[in-house]
Amino acid sequence: MKALSRAVASAAAAVMLAQCGCAGKQIVHSQNEQTVISLAWWGNDPRTEYTLEAVRVFEEHHPDIKVRCNYSEWSGYEARNRIRMASETESDVMQINVGWLDDFSKDGTGYYDLNKVSDVLDLTNFSEDTLKYGTRNGVLNAIPIAMNTETVYINKTMYEAHGLSIPQTWDDMFAAADVLSKDGIYPLCGASKAIWLYTIAYAEQKTGKSFFDENGAIAFTPEELQVMIEFYVDMVDRKVIPKIEDFKKVKVENGTCAGAVAWVSDAINYFGSSIENGDEIVAADYTAFSPSDSGAGWYEKPATLYAMSKNTAHPEEAAMLLDFLLNNKEMALLQGVEKGIPISKSAQSCLDEAGMLSGLQYEASVVMDNNNKLREMSPLIENTSLINPFNDAANLVLYDKATAEEAAQQLYDTYAESFDVT
Amino acid sequence: MAKKEQSRPSLKKIRGLQLSMIIGYAVIIIAVICVVTNLAVKKTDAVLKNKVISMTSSLNVQMKLNMDSYISRMETIGTLAFGTPEAYTYDATDPDNDEYEALNTEKAITDKLYSLCIMDNFCDYGIVYRNNRTVGKISNGTSSLMGDTMYEELSSMITRQRTHDGWCAGYKGDLKRIYYVKRVHDNAVLVMSFYTSELESVFDNPETLADMDIRLVDSDYDILYSSRDEETGRHLPRTIIERIEGNTSATVMDNAYLVSVNSCVDDWYVICSIPTRIILNEKNEMQYYIYTAGLIAAVLAVLFGTMMSIRLTRPVKRAVAALDNKASNDQLTGIFNKQTFNDRTSDRLDSSLSIERHALILLDLDNFKGINDTLGHAYGDKVLAKTGSILRAEFSTEDFLGRVGGDEFCVLVNSSPSGDTKYEDFILEKCETLCNAYRAYYSGDKGDYKISASIGVSFFPEDGSTFDELYAASDKALYSAKKCGKDSYVFYSKDESGEVADE
Repeated sequence: MKALSRAVASAAAAVMLAQCGCAGKQIVHSQNEQTVISLAWWGNDPRTEYTLEAVRVFEEHHPDIKVRCNYSEWSGYEARNRIRMASETESDVMQINVGWLDDFSKDGTGYYDLNKVSDVLDLTNFSEDTLKYGTRNGVLNAIPIAMNTETVYINKTMYEAHGLSIPQTWDDMFAAADVLSKDGIYPLCGASKAIWLYTIAYAEQKTGKSFFDENGAIAFTPEELQVMIEFYVDMVDRKVIPKIEDFKKVKVENGTCAGAVAWVSDAINYFGSSIENGDEIVAADYTAFSPSDSGAGWYEKPATLYAMSKNTAHPEEAAMLLDFLLNNKEMALLQGVEKGIPISKSAQSCLDEAGMLSGLQYEASVVMDNNNKLREMSPLIENTSLINPFNDAANLVLYDKATAEEAAQQLYDTYAESFDVT
Repeated sequence: MAKKEQSRPSLKKIRGLQLSMIIGYAVIIIAVICVVTNLAVKKTDAVLKNKVISMTSSLNVQMKLNMDSYISRMETIGTLAFGTPEAYTYDATDPDNDEYEALNTEKAITDKLYSLCIMDNFCDYGIVYRNNRTVGKISNGTSSLMGDTMYEELSSMITRQRTHDGWCAGYKGDLKRIYYVKRVHDNAVLVMSFYTSELESVFDNPETLADMDIRLVDSDYDILYSSRDEETGRHLPRTIIERIEGNTSATVMDNAYLVSVNSCVDDWYVICSIPTRIILNEKNEMQYYIYTAGLIAAVLAVLFGTMMSIRLTRPVKRAVAALDNKASNDQLTGIFNKQTFNDRTSDRLDSSLSIERHALILLDLDNFKGINDTLGHAYGDKVLAKTGSILRAEFSTEDFLGRVGGDEFCVLVNSSPSGDTKYEDFILEKCETLCNAYRAYYSGDKGDYKISASIGVSFFPEDGSTFDELYAASDKALYSAKKCGKDSYVFYSKDESGEVADE
C-alpha cells in the first residue's frame, strides 16, 4: 500500500511539474528565411514569360532563395538601367548590353568580378575568346549569352507576290521600294538603332572607312557623316523605310513592311505572327553594293550578356542564379534560341539534343556564322549619345530645317563635344 | 469441498458489492471524462474556429489593402505623367502642328515618361492620341492586341467620371496584362499596364498559409488573378461563389470551406478560400489528442479504482471469511458445524435431480463417554480432531463433512465412483475404510485405549429426498449398527418389518 501511495504521489508530482513546465515554456516558431536577390532583364512578352517561368523553376530548386524580378520592354529600359546604375540600386543579376560595359565599367570595377564566383558559376562552358567580350581591364564582368548582329529579314512571300526576288544590294532595296510603295508597303523598316547601323554599313562601304579608328575615336568626317544623313533621308523620301519615329513593329505584322533590319535575337519578335500566318521569312544577305561585299561594314557582338552587381550582398546566390540562366538545361529549353544560339556549351548541346536548333533565329545565326566579313562591334557604336543626335540631324534635313551639309557639320560638332574625333 | 462450493453468501455479497462499486465507479469516471472531453473539444473547436475565421478575415483584409495600395500607387505614378505640362497640353491630332516641332515635343514627352517607367515593371506607360499616334512606352503586346483601334479601345476602359480613369483586366480575354487608363485631354489618354503576374508580390501570403487560394475576381466572378496559375481566366468555382455571393466584405465558414471576400478597386474582389479540413487540420489533431488523453485517463482511473477497491476490500474479505469460517465450521475438527452442515446439505439435496446419487453417512464414536470419563476431555478432543482428519482424508472436497453432535459426524457424499464401480460398493468401500481407520487407531497415554465407530448409511433418492428423511434413515441404520455390536456399518434398508438390514 505504501508503495502504491508513493507511486501515486510521484505520478501526481510529475504531472504537476510537467504542467508547470508547459505553462511557462517559450514557444518559438522558426520562419523560413529566404535570401532575396533580384534579376533584371528587358524583352518582349515571350522572353518575359519564359524568364519568369525560369525564375519559378530556379526558386523550386532553391527554396531558400527568392528572386525579385525587374523587367520591361526595351523602350525606356536603357534610361531605367542608367538610373539604377547611377543610384546603385541595380539588380543583383542583370541582363546587359555589351556597350554598357564601357559605359559603366571601363576599368572593370563597375560590375562584379565573376572569377570570384567561379566555384559556383561554371565558366568551363565558355571559351576564353568568348569571355573576352565580357572582360574589361582583365576583370571578367559579364558573360555573353549568344552572338548577335543586325540582320536583313525579308518576307519572301510578299516580295514574290510583287514579282521581286530577295534583295541583296542597296539598289535592290530602292528598286523594291519603287514597286512596293505603290501598294503602301515599305521593303524594309527598322528601329532607331537598326537603321543607324544600316546607314553606317552603307557609309563604310561607300567611303571605305570605319566609323571608329583603332583607338576608338570617331573617324568619320563631316563629309562622311553627310553621306549617312543623305542616305537616311533618301531611304525615307523614296519610301525604302518609314521614318524611325513612325516605326512600329506592328506594321511588320500587319503587312505594311515587307522586311526589317533587326537583331538575330529579335527575329521571332518581329516575324512570329507572319510565320504563323504562313508567310516565308528569310534571313537575307547583309545589304551591300555588290553581293560579294555582303558583310562589309556590318558588325557582330554578343547578343546580350549577364552581369552581377558589384554591390550585391549575396554573390553566391546571385552566381547560382547566373549559372542557372546560362548553363542549366531546363533554362536552355525554356529559352530556346530566343536570344540566338546559346554560347554556353551545355545549353547548346541541350538544344541540339532536343532538336531545337532550328527556325528563323537559327537561320539568321547561321548567316552570321558563315559570313567572314563581319567585324567585332565597338561597344561605343550603340551609344544613344551617338544615335539620337544623328536622328535629330537627319530630321533637320527631312523637315528642311537645314541642308545635309549643315546638319552633318552640326552633328560632327555635337560628337566632338562628347567623343574623341580624329 | 470446491472453493466455489465453499464460498459463503456473505463473501459472495461482498464480491457482488465490489463488482458493483467498480462498475459504478467506471461508469461515473467514463461519463465524467466524456463530458469533460466533449466540453474541452467543443470549447477548443469554437475558439479555434473563431481564431481561424478572424485570421483569415485579417489576411483577406490585408490582401485587399495590399491591392488597394498597389492600385493607388499605380494611379499616383499615372498622375506623375501630368508633371510634364507638355503631356497634357500637346495634342498630336492638332492639324496646325508643325511636324518637326511635334516630333521634338513627342521626343521630350517620351523621355519624361521613360524616366517614370522606373517606378515599376510596366508593359506600357505612354500616351495614345485619337489618331493612334503614341508617345512614351507602348508595348508590342498592346499594339498587337488593339491594333488601329487602340485609342477607342483604351477610351472605353474609362469608367470613373470623377477622375476620368478606369481599370481593365482580361481585355479580349488576354489576362496577361492589367490596364489603367486616364484621360489626358479630349484627344489623348494615358495608358499604363503591367503583367498580371506582378500581383504575385501583392498577394504573397505567408508560408504557413500556402494552401490558401487567393484570387482577384471581377464583378462577374471571372478570375483575373489566382495564386493557382491554371485558374486565371476561369470562372470562380460555384462552390466558392455560393458562399459569398452578394457580399462585399464577409468571411464564411462551414464544414467544407472557409471563404473570405473583400471588395477593392471598382467592382473587383479579393477572395481567399481554403478547404475547412485543411485549415482546421490542427483542430482535428487536437480533438484526437484530447479524446485519446480522455480514453487513457478513463482507463487509468478505472484500473486505479479497481486496484484500490481490491486493496480496500481484501482485509474486509479476509475478516469476513475468518468470521464466516468460525461461524460455520467446528473449530475442533475443522469441518462444518451442525447448522452449516444441515443448511448446506438441505440446499444441495433440494437442488439435486432424482437421477443423481448421494449417500448420507452418519458416524458415531463408540464409547466416547468412556474416553472422556477415563482419559479426560483433552483426550476426547483429540479423538474428535482425529475423526475430522480421518473424514477429510477419506472424502473428497466435493463431499460435505459435518460434526452434528458431541461425538456424532455426518457426511453427504456428493462425489461419484470412477469406472464401473457401483455406487453402493463405492460407499461400502468408504465405510470399510472408515471403520478400518478407527480399528487402527488407539488413544490414551499408552496408546492402549481402543476406539471405534458405528456408521449408518442411507441413499438419495431411494431412502429419502430430503435431509431430514435421509438423516432419519441413516440414524436408523446407525442404531442398527450400534445394536449389532458397534464398530460396524449398516446401510439403511426398509424391510417389511420396518427393520434396518445390517452389513
